[in-house]
Amino acid sequence: MKTLLTAAALALGTASVAQAADEVKLQLKWVTQAQFAGYYVALDQGFYEAENLDVTILPGGPDIAPTQVIAGGGADVTVEWMPAALAAREKGLPLVNIAQPYKSSGMMLTCWKDTGIAAPEDLANRTLGVWFFGNEFPFMSWMSQLGISTEGKGEKGVEVLKQGFNVDPLLQRQADCISTMTYNEYWQVIDAGVSPDELITFKYEDQGVATLEDGLYVLEDKLSDPAFVDKMQRFVRASMKGWKWAEENPDAAAEIVLDNDASGAQTEEHQKRMMSEVAKLTAGSNGTLSEADYQRTVKTLLDGGSSPVITKEPEGAWTHVITDAALN
Amino acid sequence: MTMVAIALLVWCGGWWLNSRLANGPRAHTRGVKLLVPAIFGVTLLVVWELLVRGLAVSLVILPAPSVIAERFATSLPILWQDFQQTILKGALSGYIIGCVAALLMAIAVDRSDFLRRGLLPVGNFVAALPIVGTAPILVMWFGFDWQSKAAVVVVMVFFPVLVNTVAGLRETSAMQRDLMQTYAASYWQGFFKLRLPAALPFIFNGLKISTTLALVGAIVAEFFGSPTVGMGFRISTSVGQLALDMVWAEILVAALAGSAFYGMMALVEKTLTFWHPSQRG
Repeated sequence: MKTLLTAAALALGTASVAQAADEVKLQLKWVTQAQFAGYYVALDQGFYEAENLDVTILPGGPDIAPTQVIAGGGADVTVEWMPAALAAREKGLPLVNIAQPYKSSGMMLTCWKDTGIAAPEDLANRTLGVWFFGNEFPFMSWMSQLGISTEGKGEKGVEVLKQGFNVDPLLQRQADCISTMTYNEYWQVIDAGVSPDELITFKYEDQGVATLEDGLYVLEDKLSDPAFVDKMQRFVRASMKGWKWAEENPDAAAEIVLDNDASGAQTEEHQKRMMSEVAKLTAGSNGTLSEADYQRTVKTLLDGGSSPVITKEPEGAWTHVITDAALN
Repeated sequence: MTMVAIALLVWCGGWWLNSRLANGPRAHTRGVKLLVPAIFGVTLLVVWELLVRGLAVSLVILPAPSVIAERFATSLPILWQDFQQTILKGALSGYIIGCVAALLMAIAVDRSDFLRRGLLPVGNFVAALPIVGTAPILVMWFGFDWQSKAAVVVVMVFFPVLVNTVAGLRETSAMQRDLMQTYAASYWQGFFKLRLPAALPFIFNGLKISTTLALVGAIVAEFFGSPTVGMGFRISTSVGQLALDMVWAEILVAALAGSAFYGMMALVEKTLTFWHPSQRG
């Protein structure tokens, strides 16, 4: 019964290749913003069309878990951070990284300078805001490297707060430090009237605990279908073209993102700044996942303190099949 | 496919058994009255288990009851910690503060027409505030710990109790109040001997509605910032890790706690309003 259905679906799929463009549904990790500029540029500039693809971009949000969307069949490919993807993989949802447009991590800890924090060691005995929802693992790993417990305040411990997706805890001084992204929340703090001189930031990239962000992930079993692999190769090729275009034309890319923001929540100034910061993170990646970066991510996650996100070395969590064919 | 077939059989079997029991000669005995819903619940769980396993539904979409039960049993210390933080500290303290405040306010409103016209609309307004809007603000005001959750709960439970109590205090008829007056009863004598007892069924209505509201408020408020403990914290972080079995274990705790809380209030009501027609028979 099931095989019959699959066969019928396949037949339909191959039949439509000749006539119409292939449909691809891309689930974003967050709301429409310059963080995903490459995909919107590829759509806007016709890069997808040139590859005979009909791409639908589905924005995410605080109440959307991209892993769940793809598990439920709501998307073909999703933008996700590697910690969440590997955690999902260990929980039985076999996500595979097919491309990695982001080379560097944009996550950092932003602290008030006047609290006397100058080096990571000074973080002990402070209150720190951390994002959860799968984003806490680089932080946990960093703390365990520093030998700081996250169980509560003390000589060798910190008080961890689950921070919402805003910067109020820092502004209200409920926390000494909060999690920020170089391209987003950091600027919200600045926009609130804080001068950069008053802040000190610790980039996870510099602390050696950066995990890979914003990769493209698909379900493993789909990769055994040659038609799907072919579709993804074209999709990745067009997306990377979009990313490189966005890096070179940040202002135009930000405009394209704004045009696609159905919510109307984003502002031009914010998006242009975000795009120029995002361009720093995607620079240096042609879309191919670097094995060294992958190993560092896995190591960071395995060292994640008392409750590591993954308990064993993942296998088959990435493939170069798509990028090798798409980019060479 | 066999599991799906068995699931169908189990469903039909449970149905047949229940209809036999419910229409049988012993249908009105206490044992059968308890047995029928129990059979229904067990049937539902077995069918769920068989369907999820038979159709190979991903854990991410819906975990089998056995998986949830296993997770529940192995994470009792964490669940207990979360229960203490969210229910005992957040929900219960907010519930007590909110209900006591609403009762006192209702008495004040009842005594003064000025307050009834001025305060009730304000109470109505507060009740209409969406929790997703107020929770982040209350977190900002009262901090990340349970105090801000209690504040959210206060806002949520205040109005149902207030409105029900005010309505309850107007329940006595003019004839009854006149009788108290002919006895030369003071306001408070009339209040405690006549009007408060008459209002009790209404008050308990508000209190019972508020039990579940308090749980929901305390859990949802934790989504907007919390220390690293609590049921709302665990649910939101577990979803991020796709540990759906943990999410369901917390849901189970919330359901059990909510039912127990409600049941307790219903029991108190039964003892205090034994005279009311709804409690007889």
